[in-house]
Amino acid sequence: MAISMKKFMPKMRIEEVAARRQARIDQGTDVIVGVNKYQIEDETPLSVREVSEEVRDEQVARLVQIRKDRDNEAVQKALDDITRACESEDNLLAVCLPAVRARATIGEICDAMEKVFTRFVATTQCISGVYAQESADSEMIESLRKRTADFEKKTGRRPRILLSKMGQDGHDRRVKVIATAYADFGFDVDLGPMFQTPEEAARMAIENDVHIVGVSSLAAGHKTLVPKVIEELKNQGASDIKVVVGGIIPPGDYEFLKNAGAAEIFGPGTVVTDAANRTLNIIGA
Amino acid sequence: MIQTDPDSFVQGILDGNRRIIAKTITLIESHLKEHQQIAFTVMERILPHTGNSIRLGVTGVPGVGKSTFIENLGVFLADKGHKVAVLTVDPTSQRSGGSILGDKTRMEKLAAHENAFIRPSPAGGTLGGVAAKTREIMLTCEAAGFDVILVETVGVGQSETSVASMVDFFLVLMIAGAGDELQGIKKGILELADGIAINKADGDNLTAVEKTKGDLEIAMHLIRPESPTWSTPVLTCSSITEGGTKNIWETVLDHRKKFSASKEFKQRRKKQTLAWMWTLVEDGLKQRFKNNEKINEEIPVISQQVENEKISPTAAAEKLLSYL
Repeated sequence: MAISMKKFMPKMRIEEVAARRQARIDQGTDVIVGVNKYQIEDETPLSVREVSEEVRDEQVARLVQIRKDRDNEAVQKALDDITRACESEDNLLAVCLPAVRARATIGEICDAMEKVFTRFVATTQCISGVYAQESADSEMIESLRKRTADFEKKTGRRPRILLSKMGQDGHDRRVKVIATAYADFGFDVDLGPMFQTPEEAARMAIENDVHIVGVSSLAAGHKTLVPKVIEELKNQGASDIKVVVGGIIPPGDYEFLKNAGAAEIFGPGTVVTDAANRTLNIIGA
Repeated sequence: MIQTDPDSFVQGILDGNRRIIAKTITLIESHLKEHQQIAFTVMERILPHTGNSIRLGVTGVPGVGKSTFIENLGVFLADKGHKVAVLTVDPTSQRSGGSILGDKTRMEKLAAHENAFIRPSPAGGTLGGVAAKTREIMLTCEAAGFDVILVETVGVGQSETSVASMVDFFLVLMIAGAGDELQGIKKGILELADGIAINKADGDNLTAVEKTKGDLEIAMHLIRPESPTWSTPVLTCSSITEGGTKNIWETVLDHRKKFSASKEFKQRRKKQTLAWMWTLVEDGLKQRFKNNEKINEEIPVISQQVENEKISPTAAAEKLLSYL
């Protein structure tokens, strides 16, 4: 198992299963009550507790205060001990405790370890062909493939979309499903690294010269990150690149995002082929 | 929103404007005739500003760690103040025509680096293959002031031969002990290599790396070096331990120095330019053949005759070609 983990085999399998299941949900062969069967017509919107931007500022202020009040010399010593323990393979818990007591942050403790262990970067490998394979609705897929092929004939290249995960949001299984499905429909799909900043996402969109940026948001960052990426695109001279949003977006936020300039929003329960068609509408395909 | 004024493209490229460089690459890759014509004009105009970079090709079978290697080397160079452009080619699905371009997920730091520019391209159904396009994209980056160009190819199929014919240094990445000693990389590719690097030389892997290194050194002895001043070295590198990346870069610089001194550098570039011309001639001939009306009319007739054994394939081919 350890070897297969190293080779990311379980992760790939999970993603493959997710893409297949999505195809079955989209066709209604797998039933999820309320999502693709027995939907409620006039569902009363859930009230969502919103965490405001101020919370972040408060946290930052607290952190600044802690760093000011603590004995920074002691912190540094404790952190150096951690780095040394990593080098000599000593008990890490024993050296972490004094660091925590001296009020070192988790981030600082990680940095101290990173010096020796280096940073783990998950390689993003993406499966392809799975969604189309599982989907029995080949007519729909063929019509999407025709649309992307016609777009290429008309404009000289395939519709190109950057799928981006921004901010502290590590949930990338969904975005991989979208990537593999869109590629199956004939899109050129750029996959961004995790934890991108809006600046980085905008720059990548520009360098790769995509038509659309698809922001995948599953950790409630959309109200900050989507307007920021739209603004960044504008700042970097690319306001013609359209932005769409997908993921867990409460219906109450749709208007806010549209006003901020999002061209389409694909909330929970969106059928992927439908999302692809609407994405193509935006760029006039 | 593609503009059509070549002047603004030329100026934008020379100014190093990311947006314009990216748009120019889109034009180069476009299948539309009018886009290709603008690209052609732009290429002619920027040509005097090209050629001043170190062109490094990197190849290896999938999983060998090309992207991570390029990330490390790229950041190392960009930190030193080099302007680094990375061109990667991703496979396109024959069935859907779409591609997944995920290289930048493995080049996180480089992608965000001020001194870097990374452009992944879908292999697509580009006429004339990836090579001609990649070469023009490389020249565009040079004109924009990038002084190191890294070209990544998947080490299976045709693409590495064409990439080898457009770079100054062709690096083949390998890993130790994965099955047979040459891991499906054909001998022909080792002949093209200016350097071989065994990746993932760290931890428990070191003994296996040393063995592979020995095997490869013996294998390389059997290949007669093309150059009198250079024999292909076998190096090691790792994304975890430092040193290897720097060592490889020093080897590239050493190669450049020796090749410049022996005038082989200029000869090689001249040879490559000529080879490029012939590639374009071949592509053009194929294109003309395909678009020739008379030929298109005759193909069904002559095909029938060949099938019915009325005329020989040789005579038929001769006849079709005579219409050009």
